[in-house]
Amino acid sequence: MNDTSAWSTLKHLLLEKPLGAIGFYLIVLMILSALLANFISPYNPLKTNFGNALQGPNFFHWMGTDTFGRDIFSRLLHGAQTAMLIGFSTSLLGSILGALLGVMGAYFGGKVDLILQRVLDVFMAFPIIIMALAVVAAMGTGTFNLIIAIAIPIIPRVARVVRSSALAVRQTTYVEAATALGSSHSRVILRHMMPNVMAPFLIMITAQLGQAIVLEASLNFIGLGVAEPTPAWGLMLRSAIDFAESAPWMGIFPGLAISIAVFAFNVFGDSLRDVLDPKLG
Amino acid sequence: MKFRWSHSFIILFAIGIFFLTGCDNTSSNQDQDTNTTQETNQNTDNNTSANTSTETNTTTETSTTDSGVIIPKSGGILDFAVPRDPPSFDCHRENTFACIHPIAPFYSLLARFDQNNYPAIVGDVAESWDVSDDGLNYTFHLHDDILFHDGSKLTAEDVKATYEKIIFPPEGIVSARKGSYLMVDSVEAPDDVTVVFNLKWPSISFLANIASPWNFIYKASILAEDPTWYESNVMGTGAFKFVEYVNGAFLSGERFDDYFMPGRPYLDGFKAIFINSMSARVAAVRGGEALIEFRGFTPTARDDIVRQLGDEAVVQEGPWICYLNVAINNEREPFNDSRIRRALNLALDRWGASDTISKITFIGYVGGLMRPGSEFAAPEEELTQYEGFWTDIEASRTEARRLLEEAGIDEGFSFQFKNRAIGDPFEHVGVWLIDQWSQIGLNVEQVVQEDAAFFADRSGGNFDATMDWECGFMDEPDLQLFKFLSTGVSGSNYSRYSDPTLDSLYERQSKAATIEERIGIVREFERYLFNEQAYTFPTLWYYRISPHWAKVKGWTQLPSHYLNQDLRDVWLDE
Amino acid sequence: MQQYIAQRLLLMIPTLFGVALFIFLLMRVLPGDIVEIRFTSEGGFVSEEMIQIERARLGLDQPLPVQFIKWMYGLIGQPSVDAQFPFIHLQAPDLGVSMWTGRPITEEIAIRFQLSLQVAIMGTLLSILIAIPLGTLAAMYQDTWIDYSVRIFSVGGLAIPSFWLGILIILFLLNTFNWIPPFIFTPIWEDPGKNLTQLIWPTLAIGYSYSAIATRMMRSSMLEVLRDDYVRTARAKGLLEHVTVVRHVLPNAMLPVITVVGLEFAFLLGGLVVTEQVFNLNGIGKLFVEAINHRDYTLTQALVLLVAVTFIFVNFVVDLLYAAFDPRIKYE
Repeated sequence: MNDTSAWSTLKHLLLEKPLGAIGFYLIVLMILSALLANFISPYNPLKTNFGNALQGPNFFHWMGTDTFGRDIFSRLLHGAQTAMLIGFSTSLLGSILGALLGVMGAYFGGKVDLILQRVLDVFMAFPIIIMALAVVAAMGTGTFNLIIAIAIPIIPRVARVVRSSALAVRQTTYVEAATALGSSHSRVILRHMMPNVMAPFLIMITAQLGQAIVLEASLNFIGLGVAEPTPAWGLMLRSAIDFAESAPWMGIFPGLAISIAVFAFNVFGDSLRDVLDPKLG
Repeated sequence: MKFRWSHSFIILFAIGIFFLTGCDNTSSNQDQDTNTTQETNQNTDNNTSANTSTETNTTTETSTTDSGVIIPKSGGILDFAVPRDPPSFDCHRENTFACIHPIAPFYSLLARFDQNNYPAIVGDVAESWDVSDDGLNYTFHLHDDILFHDGSKLTAEDVKATYEKIIFPPEGIVSARKGSYLMVDSVEAPDDVTVVFNLKWPSISFLANIASPWNFIYKASILAEDPTWYESNVMGTGAFKFVEYVNGAFLSGERFDDYFMPGRPYLDGFKAIFINSMSARVAAVRGGEALIEFRGFTPTARDDIVRQLGDEAVVQEGPWICYLNVAINNEREPFNDSRIRRALNLALDRWGASDTISKITFIGYVGGLMRPGSEFAAPEEELTQYEGFWTDIEASRTEARRLLEEAGIDEGFSFQFKNRAIGDPFEHVGVWLIDQWSQIGLNVEQVVQEDAAFFADRSGGNFDATMDWECGFMDEPDLQLFKFLSTGVSGSNYSRYSDPTLDSLYERQSKAATIEERIGIVREFERYLFNEQAYTFPTLWYYRISPHWAKVKGWTQLPSHYLNQDLRDVWLDE
Repeated sequence: MQQYIAQRLLLMIPTLFGVALFIFLLMRVLPGDIVEIRFTSEGGFVSEEMIQIERARLGLDQPLPVQFIKWMYGLIGQPSVDAQFPFIHLQAPDLGVSMWTGRPITEEIAIRFQLSLQVAIMGTLLSILIAIPLGTLAAMYQDTWIDYSVRIFSVGGLAIPSFWLGILIILFLLNTFNWIPPFIFTPIWEDPGKNLTQLIWPTLAIGYSYSAIATRMMRSSMLEVLRDDYVRTARAKGLLEHVTVVRHVLPNAMLPVITVVGLEFAFLLGGLVVTEQVFNLNGIGKLFVEAINHRDYTLTQALVLLVAVTFIFVNFVVDLLYAAFDPRIKYE
């Protein structure tokens, strides 16, 4: 498996794995709605209008309105921006740092590996949500801080998985050869080892994407997510709790959006793993 | 019943949707529409039923108290929900209702507010009291037959020791409201049933502070031995004896048979169940795990409870001595310019919001610095003269824009508004404020913080504008206006300004000879604050909604959730 | 093997010390102050003087190194010389008192531990019960509709935020049966029926969502084992398909599942923050959030150590199990 076959892998996945294909198309759909939200949403997602508050789904407001009379469909579309931003940036940030640490540990081995593993153990020993809670508490809420908070717990988990694959790569002849030929550490790591752990890396990214979106929603539930009036699915779901019965549309649509997003990333990730490397968990 | 079933289908349907995450969107939308119509119907039903039950409740309450048609029944255990654990059992040092709700039933006060005639003050362990002509000596005559739960007799020494702990705490001991008793010079106990308070200056608010719900009467000998004993132990003269406390779960008490009031309490016992999350508290009342929660619910929670319980629910609603206000950082450019602060105040359509916001959260009365409807509050025709309270919102916003322009603030000027990460009512009001300010061309970003960080920023002055609030147990200018004194004079003024005018007006009203004079000065205080400075200004006042099981009787909702929690008159009609 | 165990045990010390130091510093970096939260969160006029008195009482006015050393000193167990026996004793670790409630931390944790442990065990068992048959089925019928349904079902557990699932369960019970599970915990040996009526619902919510990861793991490790040579040999010998699966494939495929489930178990003990809020369970997760929100340094530190110790210990046990069950793995 190498870079040039990326396109053919995707084609294979889309043809052979119907679930993965559904996931892929859903992801594309969400990215599109995030990108086009400003053009296609019928209302300003921030515009409050108390006269319109708590309307059920109707011709003018397809998904109804919330407590402030804001259009839920428009907020959902804009919420896709927040979700994609948080999902992609946390999993990319966390996975890249995690992969680098994992590969470094495998490459250097010995004491470096030992110390690195202990440090990662320290971070692993915190429940994810507690870790995120502490980071948000330290840095404050807001989209950027939330990204950091969700990315940090991802790092050690990715590092573990990547390290075990990298250990195998370390033993291969071409890495040994590259080292013997006097290539610098960073060159060996970036040019020879990283590309060879791409499979677990990609799988972890897609797995973390879904997790990040759910984690964002959970943090919102305990009051530590994105701030109102920013449209975000988790935030919408949280404010829907009190209205779960009197205005169920407030919760159903953002809940559905979260579920679809997580579903899409997970089945896509699973299928990707099936195609790339069935041995990985 | 038919509604309930249809309802569960909605829930099932919702669960179903989540399971079948892949299903296509259009069909679910249509299904949703049909369900919604049912929902709306139900809502209309609920509103009417909520109203009727409020009325029913009022009638029963009157008949119980006035004509005595309904004779209270004895027996039963009252399960009630409390949103948090008490931080300790010693409410002298705490500042949260979570201390009062579970602990107050174990204690007596010197005097208390009368639940049937608020804000009248009646005796508790005091049978009566006299005030000297110069208003400097208050002599309390105690009941002589009051027993502690250990069987020992309560004497004046116990009251003296209690108040000395509150007013002159020993070194290293926290007394949260020490500052409310600066007028007290000394406390004496000339004999077993007499307590005398000697004041440094006459004070109209002194008696209200004696009826403070925080001032549980403790036992002198225990305090002498260890003033911290009461933090984790209970020994009082209240209607209930302590039974058990399981941290995080519940706290229970049983009837004290030797309580000094004959026939009381009616209940055999109570159990305070600690339930953090709002949705779980609502569920607890709906499912009968708790019969009542004594702080207050949202309008939606009220509707859900009434829908579930039908005739078995009553709702008590009324004003609440609590409000949210906007604190502006007067040390920061450009907010040190009064024109900008006044513009921020003028932008708020309080009258419009009182109709709309009250539907989604427990807020809605328009008022100045004193609770609307209370003795010291400005009547509507005067209130509408204050800036920010004009009935013509367009004129108000035009004036706001003019002030901004004059102060050199451009359209689209941006700043941060810091708020607590609590939905009801904080974030709702935050969203409203930002919307209001956007209508005079300001672009405000709401920053929601978890509590600890929020408090640190607020007291540290790390904000442009921040949410602030105040709750009290009494409509008393000494207590309510204290917040607006210069920073440093008042510990709870977070707006960072210093204004001798306000300080001296406060001093004058506190020592005013007559009520009329006092009211006049309070008005002057309000006018000056709203029309000239607007350092900080209230948004809207709370309204308190207590939906509960109809079988809980003998508890009247007062305008403060700190009051009326000794449960001695509460009974269960079952 | 013994050397390996000793080495692993020794390595726990720096990890735990790291955790302790990290949480100690992290808590001090967090903005906010327990005294301010306690006295000013509902308005009111508590003076600066009172705030200073309380800070001093909690020892917050002492320099950080002093606070840290005191904490460590209590944890290690103060050596004391007993008058009657001329030995130096090491007392049990003293976690101190909670800054918020003033009660011993061991007491605060003990009350919640039983509930959290039971939910964690039940949740883990349920997730295994779901994961093993479903994962096996999905792998045996890879890329058929059975595989797809299993995967859709199990991803559902991840896809519904647990607080939302919990709230839907409660609303469903309220509307259908006019009933909600009890809010107060009864130990299982006192009244198993009452205990289960309370805990079965959160267990369902948790077990379902945690089974997603385990099912996925089961499926992929089954797939892997099914491709192994000895399975092919067994098939070639003409053994019936399901016999092959039960005797040869399942035991080998379960190892990685044990790892995942084991590690999740440690988090179930302290990380059920949201579920505990929704069902009002008086567990460790709820205590955790309260402790952080109150900036209750001593309690937060103790809880983090508790979860870390559990995590590291479970990790260790899982590794040993690996060695015991899988003849291919040897630790030297």
